[in-house]
Amino acid sequence: MLIQLNQKQLKLQNELQEYFEGLITPALISELNQPEHFEGGGPEFKNAMRTMGSDGWIGLSWKKEFGGKELSPIEQYIFVETVMRTGFPFPFLTTESVGPMIAEHGSAWAKEEIATKILKGELIFGIGYSEPNSGTDLASLQTKAIRQTDGFLINGQKMWTSLANFSDYIWLATRTDFEAKNHKGISMFIVPTDDPGFSMSAINTLGDVRTNATFYDNIHVPETHLVGELNQGWSLITSQLNLERLALVNHGPVEELYKDVLKISQSTKINNDQYLSDLSWVKHNFAKVHSGIEALKLICWKQTWIMESGQLNMAEASVAKVYGSEFFIEAYRLLMEVMGELSILKNNSELTILNARLERMYRTASILTFGGGTNEVQRDIIAMAGLLMPRTR
Amino acid sequence: MDFSELSHQTEIRDSLDKILSKHCSQELLKRYDSNFKHDENLLFLLSSNGYLGLGLNEKYGGSGEDLYDLGILFERLGYHAAPLSLSGCLVDVAQTIQKFSNQESCNKILTSIIAGEIYTSAILEPSNQDPENPETTAKIEDDQLIITGTKYLSEITSIAKSILISASSNKGVLLILVDTDQVKLTELSSTANSPLFKVELDSVKVNKESIIHEQGRGLEALRYLIQLNMVMRSYIALGVTEKMTSLIAGYTSEREQFGRVIGTFQAVSHRAADCFIELECLRLVNQQASINLNTNLDCENDALISKIWAGDACHKISYSAQHLHGGMGVDKDYVLWRYCLLAKECELINGSASQNIDRLGVNITTNQ
Repeated sequence: MLIQLNQKQLKLQNELQEYFEGLITPALISELNQPEHFEGGGPEFKNAMRTMGSDGWIGLSWKKEFGGKELSPIEQYIFVETVMRTGFPFPFLTTESVGPMIAEHGSAWAKEEIATKILKGELIFGIGYSEPNSGTDLASLQTKAIRQTDGFLINGQKMWTSLANFSDYIWLATRTDFEAKNHKGISMFIVPTDDPGFSMSAINTLGDVRTNATFYDNIHVPETHLVGELNQGWSLITSQLNLERLALVNHGPVEELYKDVLKISQSTKINNDQYLSDLSWVKHNFAKVHSGIEALKLICWKQTWIMESGQLNMAEASVAKVYGSEFFIEAYRLLMEVMGELSILKNNSELTILNARLERMYRTASILTFGGGTNEVQRDIIAMAGLLMPRTR
Repeated sequence: MDFSELSHQTEIRDSLDKILSKHCSQELLKRYDSNFKHDENLLFLLSSNGYLGLGLNEKYGGSGEDLYDLGILFERLGYHAAPLSLSGCLVDVAQTIQKFSNQESCNKILTSIIAGEIYTSAILEPSNQDPENPETTAKIEDDQLIITGTKYLSEITSIAKSILISASSNKGVLLILVDTDQVKLTELSSTANSPLFKVELDSVKVNKESIIHEQGRGLEALRYLIQLNMVMRSYIALGVTEKMTSLIAGYTSEREQFGRVIGTFQAVSHRAADCFIELECLRLVNQQASINLNTNLDCENDALISKIWAGDACHKISYSAQHLHGGMGVDKDYVLWRYCLLAKECELINGSASQNIDRLGVNITTNQ
């Protein structure tokens, strides 16, 4: 048993930290502070992505034969951790989920035209999975792709298509077989957002993150836009799910925030001879957050080790998802309590602290308990796979 | 990064389970519900199979100085609710002597512990929340120490050869081995019927040679003892809560109400899943703490974190287990009740979760 990063991994961590310090310029920071660019998409963001592409920092999980670095799961975790600590809205789903699938399973056109450009940081994808009537039960999705002589005709509606407002393509899950069982009739397509049949309406969320409802009205795509075999899309959707879930609960951002709030509390005077951090209830809050972060870090590290050693352990992946997402909510609350009323000031206000990160993060945290596989389903999985209990109904 | 156990560690776990499951059946455990809870035969078996040498160096007859191995022993003792209280002997005395005593004491004491001789410790004091500052005093007079004070929650003291006592002196904190016949013992009656004692020292005179550490290292040794005790107690908690969680899974997968197995209700299975999550967290923080203590004698925050998780897990899993078992949970003919009592003992001895959160908070806000 060895629970620490090795020399090579520590070196990667340092290298990444230095790289991002150089990449994130004041101009980029000020762009990312504008609500419409919280998720990226602005000119500075696009520049940074291209720079990362040409410096070889995209496609870390991709196989070497497709131009990637083929990093191990723990190294990928370190990458995600380092990026998230900086606050840069790196489009992980495009680069680490959609990208490698297209590189491996796409047509010759998709490999040449799409995968290569993702590696260069030139393309962004929106993910078209959920629908108005298909959320947790994703395999019931109804968006249709009907085969025609020269390709497919797509019709339907997707919900929560984040990044669609500045994406070049949608990674779209469609139904192609209406007779087969739910998950056996699904196929994946690359759909261009500049098609006249594509439209969207904005959904503005509690966390000031924009997402979208997207509409697909008689969009015709050629055969080359199909990724993987026809009706075999479900395995593409699920193949990367564990890594995605792990990225959602990375311990980096919450630890970064904890450290920053700790530092502020140690320099915030509450009277002539006491600092905020001298108060016992403040210390308790920090201790709770700290011991929670330690457990989260260990859960995530263990999960990367499980992936690396090629084991399949569904229960542990679900433990990470449930524990992490629920801990974030608790941790943000405890840290906001420490800073008290100051933590409700927004980032355009005077007297704001930490660039109002507390105020924003608590508003975005709630999506993680249901997003990426709702926690009820995760608990079902834990009971079945971890405790060998019967399936719930 | 490697979370796998070495093959010898898996073997330790498996063969311990074989011995313990045979000697900790319901019928056998019943004997100790109202009698002195110490199974001499089982202790002899553990000794003759080498398990009392876990975490001790080969040169004393042990199986190597890996605290993770020792953790497996305590985890399995907890899992089987074994009628043995060994943390005073194998953790407080053996490990502290191994790390802080001279070769001669190690040769003498560690070899006899491995052979099954009982030593114990008396560290905690009633109404003293800070074991690093003992109220028990040791007056140094020439070559002698005169020790006065009251200790409690000392394990199996009535059958121990000597007791490791912590005391304050004008030379700082001292750890001193005192012969059991020099102190007054009173058996305490406690929630899990563990063999715990009050130890009174009334001007007990011992030779200065009885101090187990080099001059000036008493506090360091006591801190190590307290931290390692927390971690090993958390391993007992891990075994206890692991057993309770598996009882939950087993019972709710069989019990039928409304024409279906109750484990098929989400309200039931989700509460079980929460126990699984809690258990996994406890296992990981224990592993980290025991591994770090292998190479660093002072890992206070790691130890505190593992005891915080142990305290919470013991509390939450115990009450979930009782609740999900309905009346079975409190029936003394079923297995669960013993674990609930052990859980409360693990939760509270040597620092409760809230107390340790307080301590961790102080460390976090002052040490950085």
